Amino acid sequence: MASTVRTPAAPTPTTGRPKRRWGAMLFGVLVLCVMLFPLYWMVNTALQPESGLLEVDPVPHGLDLSGFRSALTDQGGNLLTSLAVALGAVVICLAISAPAAYGLAQFKLRGTRTIVFGTLITQMVPGIVIANALYSAYVDLGLVNSYAGLMLADASLGIPFAIVLMRSFMVAIPREVIEAAEVDGAGRFRTFVRVVLPMSRNSLITAGLFSFLYAWSDFMFALTLNTTDDVKPITLGIYQYIGAHVGDWGSVMAASVLSAVPAAVLLVLSQKYIAAGITGGSVK
Amino acid sequence: MSNRFTPRVAVPLTVVSALIGGAVLSGCGQQRDPDVYTVLNSSTDESYHRWDAQTLARCGKRLGVTIEQQSVPAAQVMTKALRMASSKSLPDVLQLDASEMPTFAEAGGLIPLKDLGLTTKDIPEGIVDFGSYEGTYYGAARTVNTLALFYNKDTLDKAGLKVPTTWAEMRAAAKKLTHGRQYGLALSAGGAEDGVFQFTPFMWSNGGDETKLDSPEVAGALDYWKSLLKDGSLSKSTVNWTQADVNDQFMAGNAAMMINGPWQVETLNSKKGLDWGIAEIPVPEPGDDSVGPLGGGVLTVPNTGDEEREKMSAKIIGCMSGEQEQITYALNSWMVPANEKAAAEWRTKVPELDALADQVATARSRTAKLGARWSSVSLALQSAFQSALTGESSEAALTRAQKRATSGN
Amino acid sequence: MSTTTAAAAPLTKKTAKPPNPARVRRRRRLAQWGFIAPAVVFMALFFGYPLVRNIVMSFQDYSPSTFFTGESPFNGTDNWSKVFNDELFGKALWHTILFTIGSLIGQFCIGLGLAVFFTRRFPLNGVLRSLILLPWLVPMVVSGVVWRRILDQDTGVLNSFLGTLGLGGDTPWLTSTNMALISVILVNVWIGIPFNMVILYGGLQEVPKELYEAASLDGASAWRSFRSITLPMLRPVITVVLVLGFMSTVKILDLILALTDGGPADSTQTLGTLTYQNSFVQLDFGAGAVVGNILILISAVFAVFYLRANRNEGK
Repeated sequence: MASTVRTPAAPTPTTGRPKRRWGAMLFGVLVLCVMLFPLYWMVNTALQPESGLLEVDPVPHGLDLSGFRSALTDQGGNLLTSLAVALGAVVICLAISAPAAYGLAQFKLRGTRTIVFGTLITQMVPGIVIANALYSAYVDLGLVNSYAGLMLADASLGIPFAIVLMRSFMVAIPREVIEAAEVDGAGRFRTFVRVVLPMSRNSLITAGLFSFLYAWSDFMFALTLNTTDDVKPITLGIYQYIGAHVGDWGSVMAASVLSAVPAAVLLVLSQKYIAAGITGGSVK
Repeated sequence: MSNRFTPRVAVPLTVVSALIGGAVLSGCGQQRDPDVYTVLNSSTDESYHRWDAQTLARCGKRLGVTIEQQSVPAAQVMTKALRMASSKSLPDVLQLDASEMPTFAEAGGLIPLKDLGLTTKDIPEGIVDFGSYEGTYYGAARTVNTLALFYNKDTLDKAGLKVPTTWAEMRAAAKKLTHGRQYGLALSAGGAEDGVFQFTPFMWSNGGDETKLDSPEVAGALDYWKSLLKDGSLSKSTVNWTQADVNDQFMAGNAAMMINGPWQVETLNSKKGLDWGIAEIPVPEPGDDSVGPLGGGVLTVPNTGDEEREKMSAKIIGCMSGEQEQITYALNSWMVPANEKAAAEWRTKVPELDALADQVATARSRTAKLGARWSSVSLALQSAFQSALTGESSEAALTRAQKRATSGN
Repeated sequence: MSTTTAAAAPLTKKTAKPPNPARVRRRRRLAQWGFIAPAVVFMALFFGYPLVRNIVMSFQDYSPSTFFTGESPFNGTDNWSKVFNDELFGKALWHTILFTIGSLIGQFCIGLGLAVFFTRRFPLNGVLRSLILLPWLVPMVVSGVVWRRILDQDTGVLNSFLGTLGLGGDTPWLTSTNMALISVILVNVWIGIPFNMVILYGGLQEVPKELYEAASLDGASAWRSFRSITLPMLRPVITVVLVLGFMSTVKILDLILALTDGGPADSTQTLGTLTYQNSFVQLDFGAGAVVGNILILISAVFAVFYLRANRNEGK
């Protein structure tokens, strides 16, 4: 590849070279096609509910939305449950992680390094180990089959990552900015809310997004911490189509496509914030 | 007041405490409602869930109680039940896969059904054994299933072949039927327990035994599988296929024959234009018995410590496995009723599955000899035949498997 | 500073009494801990407690009867020696190492490459970038089924595609003991690319453009700029991505179960699947806990080494 023409990681000044830009776009589309092919296959299968799993044509021959319709009626409630649980988990996650990330980044407290290391260690514990231990604790606390219980558990999926991510960006906030705010009479908390959070808006949104995705796709906690159908997110709901004996994969695909929609919407909406760079260039 | 309780700290703490407090207050305790009984099963998919719900409604009405159903994915039933045991919240009736029942019984988790008043008359001995552990009857089966040879009638007719009854015939037929996209035979050598389930009829019909994996009879069965692979009549993908995959292959016309079970019939029938037939699995030599594995779930009464409830649970099981209920369930699920009289009636209603009923009569339970040790042996056996099917010699693979199976436990 | 004390009537910072410096310092520190405390408590409860429980369990005879009787007698190092003597353990350990390193290299390099690529301006840049995260939204159960179909030796799309390109077309992706692990790594790379790309892209946006302009004025080539400017400035982000990536990859379970179930012939058995097999198939929870602890130990060692190596770089 001609490295003389290829510029380093910086946006090319838009002085002509239109062919280069179309070339880049085509490459991007190609990459996307490769990355999303399995999803295409999933949608394709969902649009052909009458065919056996192996007899799906490469291209759907019609727009048979019956699979989606039945998936929507079956899983609509479960989708709402997933949404509620995921949003709750994000709120809890950010409420706990953001201040902690800030504290670990900027406060010179003894034991900070240990806590950061400890946060990393939490990622090492396999999910099953956590789920099993939580179950017995939840039974004692009466948190089984509750929205609150599942939100707390799902929040745990995102908290360590959120802390580590936000901390690594909050570390870059210059002390002068913070001290300037404090001199103006703002307390620690107000500084945090009025100055630090807006500056970290993009890392906050990134952390929130990942936290949402982790919670949305959680299966382990949803299965372990529920013994009835009271709280049934869509990751459990799709098992309605997969039995011990037979599997209606067309409906599974349709339900999966449906479940991807809210998260995809969130993705596209938040992309603007992630795109602007994690600290939004407000660190001059 | 100190600054410790700044809003930053107070807010998350109060939120969490409120959530927990609210949950505790609103959450119900472990008290069991005397008129509500729970059944835990693996009927996650819509059809099975519905049929069970109907059965439970009928039985509930007859016995004057409400019966609630809870379904979890099949692979999770065991762990869920164990967790419920540790939190003293076991269901009143637990439907386990028969191969998992010994583990529960061994741990002292089940009440012998005869103690609770259930009889085993009219149930063939093989099926009583199927639900027993060390001679004690713990699990009542409503229906049982086994494996059989499914074949595409049109494909066989066109090739002028009759249905094979011996290994030699099947090998020849499979070879002749392999051309283009179509393989002669499809079976499952993957998918965890699925593959082992499919290997047992070959192992047992050849005289082999699960207690001695390195015997020549077991090696012989494995060699037969290898020969099919070598002929090209069996796809190499078999080591990655579950029984559901095998069914998909057969339905798509990628295989002329398949080894599979009757639970696939519902799906098979949905494919128009596929004229399928069913026969007993071929045997090594003419005249041998075709010994297949018994499969299916059994209804058990977990040890909850409440004698009254346990007695009622047994009544519920008695109702669920009553003759008429068995026939209804069997007709819905395409499996064979356990009760002899029910099975006889079922045969008249479903003559096309006659071969299956015969196969059930000679079938064997996987855990009869090994009890709870079956899972370790199964894992070792899986690894062995997959290894043999990807190149290793049968003897070497099985010797290793036997060592592994007997060392661990 | 919250004015919860009723005594502090004036809202200005200036109080009548000169504040005791030691007390002020302590209050300040307590308030600072207040930021971090909820997270520490949460993590101790949700991660610390299960971790401790797991360590204890690895020294106990924990079987199905334990769930009924509550008894799990200590059996010293029995579980540990059983696990180490299992020939499957060595295999699983080796596969885990290969799988983790292979996945990380693949995910990171491709993720970084794509991140760099997307810093260019071209039409649809933003849309394409957000759509790339979509694979994440597919439930693992579904991913497994879809990929198994795609990778099928006879009827899979991948082999058909390679066949039309003249590159063979009958690779036994999931059915050969040699290829299966590679296939699983490839699928895991596919799953991990979006995560890596998004984080690295965010980091790339932070690198001041002036540095590049200065470098190109000095005549540095693209590759030189990349090595001397981009990589060092990305260090903290790279650390986050690699360390977190390592830890989540090393314990991966559901992907492998969905694709190959550890097979064929245990060629894709890793420590993650082994701990599942021990605990939930053979119901030997003590042995499962042992393997789980070994996994955690490996992660810890990696984290220590990596962080120490990075300690001196700018924080």
